[in-house]
Amino acid sequence: MTGVHPARSVRKRGPEADPEVLRTEAVLDALARRGPVGAPADPAVSLLRALTDDVDQWLSSVSITPST
Amino acid sequence: MTTCAIVAGIMPNVTEGCVADAKTGVRLATRSDESDLRDLTSLAVQGDRTAIESLLGQLRPMVVRYCRARLGRVSGHYHIADDVAQEVCIAVLAALPRYRDMGRPFASFVFGIASHKVADALRSSVRSAVPTQDLPDGPDQGPGPEETVVRYIEAEHARALLSRLPENQRELIILRVVSGLSAEETGNVLGMSPGAVRVAQHRALARLRAMADMESIA
Repeated sequence: MTGVHPARSVRKRGPEADPEVLRTEAVLDALARRGPVGAPADPAVSLLRALTDDVDQWLSSVSITPST
Repeated sequence: MTTCAIVAGIMPNVTEGCVADAKTGVRLATRSDESDLRDLTSLAVQGDRTAIESLLGQLRPMVVRYCRARLGRVSGHYHIADDVAQEVCIAVLAALPRYRDMGRPFASFVFGIASHKVADALRSSVRSAVPTQDLPDGPDQGPGPEETVVRYIEAEHARALLSRLPENQRELIILRVVSGLSAEETGNVLGMSPGAVRVAQHRALARLRAMADMESIA
């Protein structure tokens, strides 16, 4: 048996190769791209989504420039 | 051409809504060929007006998002954050002639300025008067009052939890998620390797999740 134990593999490659870390990277990358996220039940992801929606919002229908 | 002339000529006013095109613009700025952006920056540094406009067009949505996430709303509006974003863009334009490519992405230079401007704004105890909006001439196509309030509350909740993170984790999450930088670009801004960014963002998200869970239990 020459298989490498998954945990040993992660140790060798560093913590960034941890599947959980990679999963978080995929979720945050989706959030950063404003794409669908596959973790709707995660409260932290929902809050970050709310924040990105809020800072992206478009209020062009209301002008703050006085009309002439 | 003087910097003032450049600013006066091409600097669009940042108002709420100017990041509408950011859904695509942010990716153009961060996922496009980095060498293209480097070439663009090089031309902009030499005073090429078209390059300056293009560079600013790519960077501004990210800066506005960053400032909005860091500074939040005042009296329900993003005017302060958008004003600071405008100041950042003007400062970037003013600093362009002195910019030297030292191998780091231009975005790290921009967010370095943005970070300082936001810190200045946070330190400032004087808030300028918040302009009121004109009454719209036609029907408002935006979200209704209920949706607006729900979104506002959730966004404020997110900011409140982010404010409880260590500063480096908060900055990382805002750059990575809100401004839309890649792990590599976030690392360049913060002086971390992409791998370190991925590990730190995983820890930050876990901490955010734990805080959100604690609040839902309480």
